[in-house]
Amino acid sequence: MPHFLKMGVILMIVGLIGSTFLAVVDNVTRAPIAESKRQELLNALSQVLPKGFDNAPEKDLILLADKRINRQEKPVEFYRARKAGANMAAAFKVTAPDGYSGNIDILMGVASGGAIVGIQIVSHAETPGLGDKVVKTDWPKAFAGKTLKNAKWGVKKDGGEFDQFAGATITPRAVVGAVKRGLEYFVENEDKIFKTPTAEAVK
Amino acid sequence: MSKTNSKEIIINGFWSNNNIFVQLLGMCPTLGVSTSVENGIGMGLATTAVLLGSNVVIAMVRKLIPNDVRIPAFIIIIASFVTIIDLTMNAFVHDLHKVLGIFIPLIVVNCVILGRAEAFASKHSIWDSILDAISTGLGFTLALVLLGGVRELLGSGQLLGHDVFGASFQPALGFILPPGAFIALGFILVAFKWIDQKSQAKSQA
Repeated sequence: MPHFLKMGVILMIVGLIGSTFLAVVDNVTRAPIAESKRQELLNALSQVLPKGFDNAPEKDLILLADKRINRQEKPVEFYRARKAGANMAAAFKVTAPDGYSGNIDILMGVASGGAIVGIQIVSHAETPGLGDKVVKTDWPKAFAGKTLKNAKWGVKKDGGEFDQFAGATITPRAVVGAVKRGLEYFVENEDKIFKTPTAEAVK
Repeated sequence: MSKTNSKEIIINGFWSNNNIFVQLLGMCPTLGVSTSVENGIGMGLATTAVLLGSNVVIAMVRKLIPNDVRIPAFIIIIASFVTIIDLTMNAFVHDLHKVLGIFIPLIVVNCVILGRAEAFASKHSIWDSILDAISTGLGFTLALVLLGGVRELLGSGQLLGHDVFGASFQPALGFILPPGAFIALGFILVAFKWIDQKSQAKSQA
């Protein structure tokens, strides 16, 4: 056997053994990983949805896409909470493209009628100690109960009612803007959001 | 093949040839994740686990792998272990996995690991390689924890997530930011050299 072929075969064997091990590990960890992700989602949903719904929002979901939710018009999941069949609230993830560093993903829950229940910032890359105060403080609580009409949407520096932080205006401004756009979309499309059946909505 | 005794291997890996403090290898994860003690412990132990796995396997197959293809073969072995650790952490310590994020897959390119494979495991017995992996890994963890401790303490006034100084303390934000990593590491290196020289002077006296 020529030299290069022998070397190739040896590498192939090493690769085969390696991938066999990986297949086994993947098989074992797949279920626990899915379970961790589900717990994470449930946990996040419980933060932004009102209490008392009696369905399983993590299963009652549809996919919708709009420029106001994220700039790429990527479809996002709308998780719907209902009580005795009546629409209660929906949770969905909006993306602020204009943070200080990278996208800020925000999970927001809106009650039927258009009042925010709560928001949670799920991922961001803002400056530690400055921009990330939107996560580390009670700042997101200010959104609870806000509607398009009863609040001045904007940070205080822009004449709105939401606090900015000393040294960090861009992050709160981006979050407020994204939540406002998400809320506008929700109010305009509330019927569609709640009425579309789960199966056919995935477009 | 040099005959080294176990004690020497352990001291070498953990202290006198410490990968961070002496050889200054593996700077990317060191500077990148050392914003807190918790991250340091997590990253250090994950790296130790990969190192242990790769060292053992490489020492096992060192006589089977021809010299010409040893580097790609080592990299396949290391990458397999990193993926195993990545999946396992994702499954069982999901929160830590989220914090460490991209740095876990990047363990593959941590030169500490390929360095130990090439410089040690491919030339020594399995038992010696285990000792080397554990001591080198713990030395790496020690460095990350020290650096993470300094940065967390000065940068956010906390240790392991608990407030240390009370509310009136104004943290020096810079230490959490990337430049703080370089500054803190510089001072730790000075301290390490100083301790090292003192102990050497003592043993010679």
